[in-house]
Amino acid sequence: MPPPNTPGGSPPDLSPLHITVPPNTPFNHGSPRSRRTRTARNPYSIDENKVYEIGPSDGVDLRCLKYVSEVDENLLCPICHAALVDPVTTPCDHTYCEDCIYTAWKSNPTCPVDRSPLILPGDVATPPKIVLNQLDALKVKCPCCGDTLPRSMLRNHLSRYCSNALVKCPDEVCEKLVKRKDEGKGCLHYDSECPDCKEHLQEIDMESHREVECENREGICQHCSETIIRCKEAEHLKSCPEVMTSCKWTKYGCQHGALRKELDAHANECRFSTVGQMAEMLQAEISTLRDQLHTLNEKDKAQERRIKFLETHPHFNFSDVSSQSVSRLPDSSPTAEFPESRDQYLLSLLESQESKVDQLSVGLTELEAKQTMMLFNETIPIKEQLAELRSAQGVIGMHVRWLMNFRMQERRPGPGAGGSSESGGPGGDGHRRLSDTMRDVITKL
Amino acid sequence: MAFASKRLAKELHKIHGSLPPGIELVQAEGFDEWLLDIKVLDANPLYMNQTYRLKFKFSSSYPIVFLIEPPEVTFLNLPDRPIPMHPHIYSNGIICLDLLGQQGWSPVQNVESICMSLQSMLTGNTKNERPEGDEGFVKHNRKRPRDIDFYYHDNTV
Repeated sequence: MPPPNTPGGSPPDLSPLHITVPPNTPFNHGSPRSRRTRTARNPYSIDENKVYEIGPSDGVDLRCLKYVSEVDENLLCPICHAALVDPVTTPCDHTYCEDCIYTAWKSNPTCPVDRSPLILPGDVATPPKIVLNQLDALKVKCPCCGDTLPRSMLRNHLSRYCSNALVKCPDEVCEKLVKRKDEGKGCLHYDSECPDCKEHLQEIDMESHREVECENREGICQHCSETIIRCKEAEHLKSCPEVMTSCKWTKYGCQHGALRKELDAHANECRFSTVGQMAEMLQAEISTLRDQLHTLNEKDKAQERRIKFLETHPHFNFSDVSSQSVSRLPDSSPTAEFPESRDQYLLSLLESQESKVDQLSVGLTELEAKQTMMLFNETIPIKEQLAELRSAQGVIGMHVRWLMNFRMQERRPGPGAGGSSESGGPGGDGHRRLSDTMRDVITKL
Repeated sequence: MAFASKRLAKELHKIHGSLPPGIELVQAEGFDEWLLDIKVLDANPLYMNQTYRLKFKFSSSYPIVFLIEPPEVTFLNLPDRPIPMHPHIYSNGIICLDLLGQQGWSPVQNVESICMSLQSMLTGNTKNERPEGDEGFVKHNRKRPRDIDFYYHDNTV
C-alpha cells in the first residue's frame, strides 16, 4: 500500500476538463508543473504525463499507472475502474483488486456488486492463472522514465533499472536520494549558486532549476537575438543561423567561412563540393572494402588450418572428428612434420571425449534421480499398506484376545471357582488391560 | 488513495462522453459539483414534459467519494427546473434513497447508475405527494443530506 500522498482536504491541482478531450489521450491538466508538487512527490495524482520521482521506499500503486493501450473492460476492477491489481474473486464470482475490496468491505461488509454478505479474508480466492497472466502482460508506461514494459516487470524495473528512479546518494554519509542516472556523479547535495539568478540551491536541483524554474533562465542569443534557455546555449550555438561557421568541406581544403544561414548559398558554388563528395564516397567505399578484407582474412586463416590438418591425416574424414575413437589413435601415423596439427587433433579428440563424459555423467545423475523418485513412489504406498496391515492385525489380535477371554470366562462360570478364579482373575485382567491399551493405540492411529 | 482521484477523473471523462437517453450533462468542471438534467422517459402523467436538474456535490470527502462514500445528490429548484413530486423527495430537493446513504452505497455505483436509479424511481411512482412531515423537515433541517438519518421503510417505490 503506497503512502497516501493525497493533498489533505485541499482540492487537487486539476484544471477543468473539456469535452474536446479525445478519448484516448490523457486528460489535459492546464496547471503549470510547479516545483512544489514535484518535491512533495505526489506520484498519485492523475496527471499521467508527468514524470514522477519514485524512491526506493515508495511503493508504486499499480492502479494509478498509465496503460499503453486501452485495457479490456473485462479486466477492470468495478471499484477503481482500473486494470485489476492483485485480483481476488468473491464466492458470488465478482473480481476486485485486493486493496479495493478491503477498503470497500471495511465500510460495508458485502459484495459491492450484488450485496451478498462477504467475510474477508476467508471468502475470497485468487482468480485463475490465465487471468493473472493477462494482467501481468499488460503494457504500462513507467511513471518515472516513460518506458513501456509489461506490468509485472515494473516493480523490478523501478527498483533496479529505471534511470529516473530515486536511489540512495552514493556518498555514504549523505542520506538523501538521487536519480539513478546521477548516481555516478558523486554526492550532489551541496549548496551551489545558480549562475543566472544567483539563487542558492542544491546542486542536484540545479539542472531542472536552470531548465524550468529559474526566473532568469531565458537569455537572448547574441547572434540571432532569439530567446534561448541559458544553460542550453552551447547546443543552440550548434544550430544558430547567425554564427560564423566554416564550409562543410573544410577538411578537403575549402577556406570559406560564413554565417550559417548563408552557407547554403555557398554550398552551391563551393569548388570543393565535387571533390568533397567524391572523397566521401571513396572513403565509404574504402571502409566497406576494409571490412570485406577483414572477413576474407579470417576465412583464409580457417581454410589454411584445415588444409594443414588434412595434409597430416590424408585418410581422415574431416566431418567425423567427434566419432573418432581413442583406439584409432595409433593408426593415424603421427608425423613429426606437423606437430601443431597433431596436437590440435589430439585436443579435439580430448574435447569430444570430455563432452561425452560430461553427457554421460549428466545422464547418470538424471537416471539416479529418476531411480530414487521411482523407489520413493513405490515404497511409500507399500509403507502405507504395511502400516494399515499392522493396525488391522492389531485390531484382529485384540478381537481374538477378547473372544478367548470371553470363552475362558464362559468355561469357568460361577463366582465360586475359588483358587482357580484367583489365578485366572489377574490373567483375565491382564488381557483386558492389554486389549484396552491396544484399543487406545488403534484409535490414536 | 490516489487511484480514487483517478477513478473520479474517469467518471468525469465518461459523463463528458456518452450518456443514456434522458440524461444530459449540464456542467461538470473540476471536482466540486456536477450538474445533470434528467427526464422521465415514459408517459407518466406526473412528470410529463418536465426536466429536473440534479446536483452532485463532492464536499469534504474528496477523493474517497464514490469509493466508500456516496456523492451528495439533490434536486435543484430553478424557474424551469422544478423539484419532482414524489413521496421520497422533499420539497427542498433532498432525496431519501437508500443507495445515496452511507449504508446503501456501493462503490460500483457511478453517476450514470445513480441517474438511472432516480429515473426509475420517478417512473414507478404514481403518488402525487411529498413525504410525511415535509414542511417541518424543510423548515428545520440544517444538516447536509448525507448526515440525515433516513429510515428506509418503503420498498414499493
